[in-house]
Amino acid sequence: MSTTNSGPRSPSRRSLLKRGLLGGGLLFIGGFTWLGTRGTQRGAPSPKPLSVLTDDEYAVMQAIAARIVAPAPDAPPLGDAVWTVDQLLAVAPVETQKEVKQLLGLFENALGNLLFGGRATPFTHLDPADQTRVLREWQQSRLLLRRTGYSALKTLALAGYYASPRTWAYMNYPGPPSAFHDPNAPVWKGGGQPRPDSPGVWKPEESEGTLPHE
Amino acid sequence: MSDRAGRIFTGDEIATDTEVSAQVCIVGSGSGGAVLAYELSARGLDVVLLEEGGYFTRRDFNMDEGWAYPHLYQELANRATDDLAIKIFQGRSVGGGTTINWCTCFRTPPRITQIWRERFGLKDLTDEVLRPHFEWLEQRLHIHEWPLEQINENNKVLRDGCEKLGYQHQLIRRNVHKCANLGYCGVGCPVDAKQSMLVTFVPDAVEKGLRLYANASARRLETSGGKVSAVHAEVRDPSTDKPKGVKLTVRAKVFAVCGGAINSPALLLRSGLDQGGKVGRRTFLHPSVVSVGVFDREIAPYSGAPQSVASHHFIDRGPGKVGWFLEVAPVHPVLAAVSFPGFGEGHRDLVRKLPNLSAFVAPQCDGLLPDEANATVKLRGGSDTRLSITYDLRPEHFEAARAAQEEMAKIQFAAGAARVVTLHEDPVVMNSAQELGKLDGAPWERVRTKIFTAHQMGGCPMGADEKTSVVTPELRFRGVDNLFVVDGSVFPTSLGVNPQQTIFGLSRWGSQFVAAAAA
Repeated sequence: MSTTNSGPRSPSRRSLLKRGLLGGGLLFIGGFTWLGTRGTQRGAPSPKPLSVLTDDEYAVMQAIAARIVAPAPDAPPLGDAVWTVDQLLAVAPVETQKEVKQLLGLFENALGNLLFGGRATPFTHLDPADQTRVLREWQQSRLLLRRTGYSALKTLALAGYYASPRTWAYMNYPGPPSAFHDPNAPVWKGGGQPRPDSPGVWKPEESEGTLPHE
Repeated sequence: MSDRAGRIFTGDEIATDTEVSAQVCIVGSGSGGAVLAYELSARGLDVVLLEEGGYFTRRDFNMDEGWAYPHLYQELANRATDDLAIKIFQGRSVGGGTTINWCTCFRTPPRITQIWRERFGLKDLTDEVLRPHFEWLEQRLHIHEWPLEQINENNKVLRDGCEKLGYQHQLIRRNVHKCANLGYCGVGCPVDAKQSMLVTFVPDAVEKGLRLYANASARRLETSGGKVSAVHAEVRDPSTDKPKGVKLTVRAKVFAVCGGAINSPALLLRSGLDQGGKVGRRTFLHPSVVSVGVFDREIAPYSGAPQSVASHHFIDRGPGKVGWFLEVAPVHPVLAAVSFPGFGEGHRDLVRKLPNLSAFVAPQCDGLLPDEANATVKLRGGSDTRLSITYDLRPEHFEAARAAQEEMAKIQFAAGAARVVTLHEDPVVMNSAQELGKLDGAPWERVRTKIFTAHQMGGCPMGADEKTSVVTPELRFRGVDNLFVVDGSVFPTSLGVNPQQTIFGLSRWGSQFVAAAAA
């Protein structure tokens, strides 16, 4: 574990947060999050290179995912779940990427927690029980915008973890049936080429009655 | 028939700025655009179709949510209202929503067409006028009732429960042919059994000369002299879905916007065609709450035809109330994980019971009350690429949600559920039908319980009154001579049934007006 001095990027007042994912209300808080001055506490680094998140943002998301997913002792560990979140963000619009980064900054930094929870410690510095309490505060907040922020972070964390087939066994999910998907199936683009046979091709003999046209 | 061979082009094939011309240019290849493209191509018209999403086929459909959501859904399946109160599932690839929907088909309910005639002046839109179109489509798309002996356990829960309680229920008609009953319709049919636009009217139209450009995102309609002169599209790289800096311009005599509710209004708004603020308003979503039943036996809600039973017992709840209908939702791992309530231990305990879960949805028939505002689609300030979607969830919608949640729990208990759980962040957990009263203590507020939509309608409503409608009863965009809207966005209310067949029917019926304008 190491503590760095470079926290997640401070959201700018002119930021897209203004009318983004989280609506207008967070702007007020967003402009002041830098009051939290302690650096982010990093855990293990990403197992694979990151495309969107900084190392600090990764650490915040990792801490959130650890509480949201909270893998059972017999479940796969978080592993590369937060790297998967990073990869999901990489294919999202730039505006979405910025909003998530700002949200992580807001979540990590202290002012929001000071205002709503009476605490000025960065999220990554809290012990697990306090982290859970902070998440509950956002989840149960009377402010819609905090619930929205919580909802976004929860969805990302769970999607990152459960997108992996390695979680299927824990969920008792057998996986899709084999022997139906053909990764070498022909792709038809027309251009005078004959269309491959398919249940989509209309064959009057496979239907009741005849098909009138025009 | 056009003398050139039809062709599907993908973004990788368009290397430099390109301009093409046609008699008709259609934007969007879903249930509206594909039927229209076929009907016009079959009439011998030269048609170009632009599709923003990619051209994916059964070769790609590996039944994995992790692949499907980013490739086949709008905004990587993260589309939602701005406050994340309503999660919006909407298709985005060749075939549009039909590539990923659950194959449920209903003709437009007569009570809805009656409302459309009486309140919106759509005098000619009678059931008799639509019937031949529906009959033809039902034959071509093999729309037929799913056999009772093949319904899966998830649907059986709904059927058994309704049966015990004396609630109306029926088997669903599905657009499938040679269906393997796998249960993965929502992530792309791997055997082409689903009679989606992707495997029916799109290739049928290409055989008749249609030129379809996939990965071509229509950004703006260029207008001059009260007409649209061109559509300007940006070509996206199929491997990254990012714009590659190449422009595609289509010039045509007639244009048809078929991007579906949300995306059609968005294109019109980007083009400055807002009709004084009408475009994008009155968008309907069939907002749906979910009830999860936990059973002691295996349900396997990921397996078998996703939807085969429906109940319309509560569709008409009288004046001042929002009605709903009941269907089941297939439950696959990622969707379950991101939808289930809470976090940590409680969340994962429910996730772990996946094989023993039944899930009901209760889509609300929105837009029928006199003063409902429903959803509004706008361009998000300062951005040409992002939308703002808001939904005016009113006490009537939460009353309907609360009532639906109770009835769904009753039905699941009647069918033998050991436990019923709501999708509130602090879930209501009921251990028997005696505990339905617990629902009263739950918070019926935005972003405290999950609300979903898989049905997007309205935003460019048709009607006789120019003050309230965006398109005429002949689907012509008001104020622009050669522009039509042909998709679910023209609905003046929601339907109270799954919308795809109504869109097919309206498109086939409406194709006559587009064809006449192009002739």
